[in-house]
Amino acid sequence: MAIVNRAEGRLYFTPLVGFLLLFLGFPAIVNLVYSVSTVNFETLRSPTITGFGNYLSVLGDREFWRSVSFSMRFGIVTALAECLIGLFLAIFLAPLLARRSVLMAPLMLPLMVAPAMVGLMYRLVLHEFAGPVPYYLFEWFGDSPAFLDVNNAFRTLVVVEVLQWTPFAFLLFYMAYVAIPLDVREAAALDGATSFKALWWIELPLMLPTLTIAFFIRFIDGFRVFDNVYALTGSGAGGSTTSLSIYIYHAFFKQGAIGKAVAASVLLFLASLVVLCVLNWLAGLRRR
Amino acid sequence: MKMMRTSLAAVAALLSSIAMPGLSNAAVTVLGWPGGSEETALRAAVEAYNGKAAETDRVELLFFNRDGFFDKLQADMAAGSSAFDINLVATYSIGRYAPYMEPIELGPDAAKVFGESVLKTMQFDGKQYGVPTDLSLHFMYYRKDLIEALMADDAAKAKYAEIAKEHLEKELQPKDPDQWTWEDWAATALYFSKQVNDESPVRYGTVLQMKNLLFNMMVFQSLPRSYGGDWMDAAGNVTIDSEAYRTSLELYKKLYDAGASPRDSLSYEFAETNAAYSAGQAATALQWNAAAADLTNAEKSPAVADVTGVVAPPAGPNGRADHIHGLGLGLNKNAKNKEGAIKFLKWLASEEAALTYARGGGSPALAPEVVAKVASERPDLVKLGEFASRYGYVMTGATSANALSIYELQAKEFTGYWSGQQSLDDALAHTKAGMQDLLKK
Repeated sequence: MAIVNRAEGRLYFTPLVGFLLLFLGFPAIVNLVYSVSTVNFETLRSPTITGFGNYLSVLGDREFWRSVSFSMRFGIVTALAECLIGLFLAIFLAPLLARRSVLMAPLMLPLMVAPAMVGLMYRLVLHEFAGPVPYYLFEWFGDSPAFLDVNNAFRTLVVVEVLQWTPFAFLLFYMAYVAIPLDVREAAALDGATSFKALWWIELPLMLPTLTIAFFIRFIDGFRVFDNVYALTGSGAGGSTTSLSIYIYHAFFKQGAIGKAVAASVLLFLASLVVLCVLNWLAGLRRR
Repeated sequence: MKMMRTSLAAVAALLSSIAMPGLSNAAVTVLGWPGGSEETALRAAVEAYNGKAAETDRVELLFFNRDGFFDKLQADMAAGSSAFDINLVATYSIGRYAPYMEPIELGPDAAKVFGESVLKTMQFDGKQYGVPTDLSLHFMYYRKDLIEALMADDAAKAKYAEIAKEHLEKELQPKDPDQWTWEDWAATALYFSKQVNDESPVRYGTVLQMKNLLFNMMVFQSLPRSYGGDWMDAAGNVTIDSEAYRTSLELYKKLYDAGASPRDSLSYEFAETNAAYSAGQAATALQWNAAAADLTNAEKSPAVADVTGVVAPPAGPNGRADHIHGLGLGLNKNAKNKEGAIKFLKWLASEEAALTYARGGGSPALAPEVVAKVASERPDLVKLGEFASRYGYVMTGATSANALSIYELQAKEFTGYWSGQQSLDDALAHTKAGMQDLLKK
C-alpha cells in the first residue's frame, strides 16, 4: 500500500510546480519569444516575431564561437585543477582534520567571498604600483610579469578561480573520503594492501560518484563564469577574455541586440541541458 | 481587558514597523556616477544638503559599477524603474534617456552660476534635462622636476635626441610641455622609460589607458583629432580609417611595445592610471581632469603632488584638441518623490551647492565670477574652463543614440590591434563596418 495516495501526492507537488511555472516557466517562455523576435529596449512589451534570424546571427558570429572556446577551455582547466588539488588536500589533510576539525573553517573562507569582490581584490593585488605581488617580485627579482596582459590573462584568471573554488571540491571529497566505512579499510589492510593500493583500488573507486559530480558542477560553474573575469579584465584586450556569459551581457546591454543575446542564452541553456543529461546517464549507469 | 490592551499595543507596534520603511521611502534617492571624484563630491554636497533639509526631503545616494553603467541605466529606465528619483545623465546620452526623464525648471540663478553654454550641455530639444555637475576633459599631467632636469642637462638632451631619432625617426629636442607636439611627448615618454633608457629616474615615460573600455577611447581620440581625424565627414561617410587614426593608433602601439607604458596598460583605466602616476614611477599621463584633485593633493599623492604640472593635450598638425562632455543629474519620469527631487535639483543649481561640490573634489564648469571664489583651492577648475573653450571638441556623430556603442566597438577593435591580436588594417576595417551599421540605426 502506498504511503501517500495519488491525490495527496499531487497536492504536495502543487506549490513546487507553481513555483517552477512562475519563476522558471514564465521567463523561459518570454526568452523563447524574444529569441525569435526583433526587439529592443523600447519594444520590450511588443516584440515582433521574425523567425530564427537571431539564432543564425549568433551561430554565424565569430565572436560567439570565440567566447564558447574561452568558456570551454576555462571550464575544463579550472574544473580539472580544482578537483585534483581538492582531492590531494582532502586525502593529505584528512588525518589532521580528524583531530582538529576547527581547521575546516579557514579552509572554507575563500567560498565566503563574492566572486566579483575576488576580481576586484586581485585587480588591486596584481597592480604593478599598488599590489603586493608585483612589489615583492620587483624587490626580489627586479622584474614582474604583466599578469593581465593578453598573453597571461587566461592563466591569471584560472589561478584566481582555482584559488577561490578549490575549497568547494575539497569539502565534497573530504566528506566522501571520511564516509568510507572503516571495516573496508581494515579488510584491505588485513589482506596486505599498501596505502597506495588501498587508495587506488578501494578508496578512489568508492569516491568516484563524488568525483564525477564535483567535476561537472565545477565545469558548469567555470563555463558560465562572469563576475570575477568581468571585474578583473572586463572582456579583455580585443575581447580576448570574453566568456559566453560576457558575450550575452555585451549583446544585451552594450549592443542592445536583445533577440541575439537571448538566442545565445537559449543555446547556452541547451548546452547545459546536454551536460546534465550526461550526468544523469552516468548516475543511472552507476545505479544499475 | 488586559488581553485587549496587549493586542492593541501589538497591532500598534506592527503598524509602526510597517510605517517606518514608508517614511524612509519619502527620501530622495539619487543614482550617481560611481568610483571617482564625482562620487566624493556628490557625497559632500548631499551631506551639506541633508544638514538643513526636512526629514522627507533628505537625499540618499545609490551607486553601482561604472562599467556598463549607461546600459544598465537604460534597462532600468526602460523598465520604468522607480528605484531612484534622480539619475545621472551625460551630454552624449541625453537623447537616449530623454523619453524616460522629465524636463526641469532650474530658475534664473542657474545661468549665473554655470553660464548658458554649460547649461546647454544638459539640454535636449530646447528643454533642460539636468543640472550640470561635472565637465570632463583631459589634462596632460607631467613631472616638472624631471622635465626641468632634462632641459638643464646637455648630456641628457643628447640622449633624448638619440632616442627620438632611433624610435621616431625625427630630429627632436626637449621642450616645455606646453609647447609639446604628440611627437615631443612620445620622445619624452621613451626617454623616461627604463626599457629604452636605463638611466631614467622613473620606470615609465607615460601611462596609457588601454583597457577595452569605452571611456579609454575618449582619452585616446584627442590624438587623432589633433591630426584632423573625425568619425564622419560632412557627407555622413564614416572616416575612421583616415591617416589621422592610423598614425595615432600606431603611435600608441609603438610606445606600448617599446615599454614606455606599464605592461599591464591593456587592463588600465582611470584608477590604475592614477595609482601608477601617483606612485612616482611615470613621467607623464594623459588623464581625465577629475584626477587633478588627487594628483595634486600632497596627502593623497605625496610622491608627486608638489612636482606635478598640468597642460592641455599636445598639438598635432591641426593644433590642440581636447575631448569634452558634461555629466549631470536629472529627474526620473517614474520618480516616487518628484517634489523632493526637484527641490534637491534646484539647490544643486545654486552657487552654494556648486561651490560645495567644487570643494568636495568635483569638476563643475563655473562662471568666471563663481570659479574665482574657489580658484585658490581648485586652480584646475580655472584651467578646465580655459581648455574647454580653446580646445574642446565633439566628434561628428558622437551625440547620436548609438554613440556609446560606437565607443565600445572602437575599444574592442583598437585594443585588439594594440595587443597584437589583429592588424591595423583589420582593426580599422572592422571598426568602419561596425560604425556604418550603428550610425545607420
